Amino acid sequence: MGQFVQLVVNGLTLGSVYALIALGYSLVYGVLKLLNFAHGEVYMIGAFLGYGTLHMLGGAADPALPVAVLLPVLMVVAALGSGLVGVAIERFAYRPLRTAPRIAPLVSALGTSFFLQNAVLLVVGARILRYESEKLVDVSSGIHEGVLNVSVMRLLVIGVSFTVMIGLMIFMRRSKLGKAMRATSYDPEAAQMMGLDVNKVIMVTFFIGSALAGVAGVMSGLVYNRVFQTMGFVAGLKGFTASVVGGIGSVQGAMAGGLIIGFAESFAQGYVSTTFYDVVVFLVLIGFMLIRPRGLFGVAELKKV
Amino acid sequence: MSKKLLFAPLAVFALAATACGSDSKSAGDTGAPAGTTAGTTAGTTAGAATTAAPAAGGAACSAKIGFMGPFTGDAASIGQEQLNWGKLGIDDFNAKNGTTFSVVETDTQLDPAQATTGAQKLISDTDIVAVLGPAGSQEVEAIGPAMTTAGLVYVSPSATRTSLTVDGKMPTFARVVPNDDAQGPTIANFVKDTIKAKKVLIVDDQTSYSTGLADSATATWKTLGVEVLRESIAQKSTDFSSLVAKVTDDVGAVFLPWQIAANAQQFGTQLAEQGKKAVVVGSDGVYSPSDFSLEGAYVSSFAPDVRGVPAAASVVAAYQKAHDDKFGTFGPPVYVAAQLIATGIQATCKDGKPGTRAEVTTAVKATKLADTILGGPVALDANGDVVGAKFYLSQIKGGKYTLVG
Repeated sequence: MGQFVQLVVNGLTLGSVYALIALGYSLVYGVLKLLNFAHGEVYMIGAFLGYGTLHMLGGAADPALPVAVLLPVLMVVAALGSGLVGVAIERFAYRPLRTAPRIAPLVSALGTSFFLQNAVLLVVGARILRYESEKLVDVSSGIHEGVLNVSVMRLLVIGVSFTVMIGLMIFMRRSKLGKAMRATSYDPEAAQMMGLDVNKVIMVTFFIGSALAGVAGVMSGLVYNRVFQTMGFVAGLKGFTASVVGGIGSVQGAMAGGLIIGFAESFAQGYVSTTFYDVVVFLVLIGFMLIRPRGLFGVAELKKV
Repeated sequence: MSKKLLFAPLAVFALAATACGSDSKSAGDTGAPAGTTAGTTAGTTAGAATTAAPAAGGAACSAKIGFMGPFTGDAASIGQEQLNWGKLGIDDFNAKNGTTFSVVETDTQLDPAQATTGAQKLISDTDIVAVLGPAGSQEVEAIGPAMTTAGLVYVSPSATRTSLTVDGKMPTFARVVPNDDAQGPTIANFVKDTIKAKKVLIVDDQTSYSTGLADSATATWKTLGVEVLRESIAQKSTDFSSLVAKVTDDVGAVFLPWQIAANAQQFGTQLAEQGKKAVVVGSDGVYSPSDFSLEGAYVSSFAPDVRGVPAAASVVAAYQKAHDDKFGTFGPPVYVAAQLIATGIQATCKDGKPGTRAEVTTAVKATKLADTILGGPVALDANGDVVGAKFYLSQIKGGKYTLVG
């Protein structure tokens, strides 16, 4: 029982991070029908931006700001930085190829991914760096009742993730820009004919998606502590999987998919094997795709006959 | 060792250490070469030797010792530390014994190919009667055949691969550190006797270093009647908390034969987060005071932190005065290796000249040091391994590594 409760907590934390990454994939796929494989690297850069900011502000052992101010600052800096990186990626790696055959931007995405990884390797080095978040907020703080152990950091990560996701849903439904994003996603040509600046909409989409990945990077740094230049690869793959499970292009789908993958990973580690848990996670994906190819919230594409 | 050194290229540290290393090197150079030239002239010119020997009362011996190490390149932080400790070892020996031994440095960059070239250079210099180094097991393997043919003795301060001394293929090789086989049993016994754990969880990180060490500790625990559970997780896994959730209350210790100290730190932090009381025991791969500082955890190393060894106090003070306090476990064994070589050479000295390479080899391998800065005696067995060598265990208290076994 104790283990089960703990695995739920772990799955929820992990799922929150994956869900934010998945949202970026989904948003970009929605407007461009492009799989942005550099998205995992944007997440990694977010984690490093958070680390750099933390250290410029004195490090975890002796922060210059109160923790309650510091943590939002880390997230905002990482979100803005990652957002700009995302916009730059779109501008230089994808926009020139927008009319090219579909395979071209995919190759460009992979190239961008390697470029970013190696750029970080060059600047920061290969050593695994630690946020040392246990020095910011003691791990024994939070809820420790019987079998339930949830540290403050985990509560924060889960809380921020859900707040951001709900905020995004409201933004997509209510705001003008959100409506423009949905319109572009539905039919870019018609949207352009109605006077929408499609380039601007795509830019904003990349900014928002990448900013979410940046926040996810900081959250991962705060809970899982370690940041290194190849951390985006597997996380990106899981985020992508999550968005596919949820139904790529759908915001609710990405959230649900992230949580499903998070729980699958946590339970696979707990009850199956810590060696082969990734196999289990991807088996879930394959099984899910066989039963429901469109994903949880995916809609069947309209086909003109 | 080979694995640990692979982790040495920590760009930031390497840069920092190279910077301070080059400072201390130039400082050392101004002193050492003076002795080097004097020693060489005396040793090589027969006339000078005969005149010099009586002047020094027939005892002053001079000889050249090769010194191989990764003085530049990715592992330079380790190489510079070894260089400083090695020079200090020779200087101290000279000061105490009135000898004029000098070193000829050869940079290996931790690369077997470079080490082979360097070894040829040292072999062809007939004045060189013994070699200090090289650092890595892969380098020892690479230079082995040439050194055997030349009959030149070489003592490594940090090569721990077990196979180096097993089959007698490298009869002129010796080391002052234990081999990897000693680590598993050392840790297993310590966990049984000192931590008194009846049930142990081993988590390997899916590398050959890790699984090998896990297997060797398991074998010892089985003979001691300790129950062993085994898990395995990849080095680049994001989260250990679901693995940590499996640790039951009756598990007394968790053994992490890992290579990435930051991972062990995270594992321990997550244990604390879930309120688990099991004690973390790390292998030498996570020995890193900067990255692994889990309160109450234990960590093993092939050499102790000499700051905590009483017999080393004066040497440590001298080192800190001449260089800095940034040394780890790679430097001090070089001091001992230097002592071993110098004592051996001195035993063969006649009329101020060392014996042949063969005589020096025999003498070095027969040398016994009663007490060393590593905290115990050093004597070699027929294979060149230290008799009764064991790994050292430190406990982390208040962020500091304290030697406990």
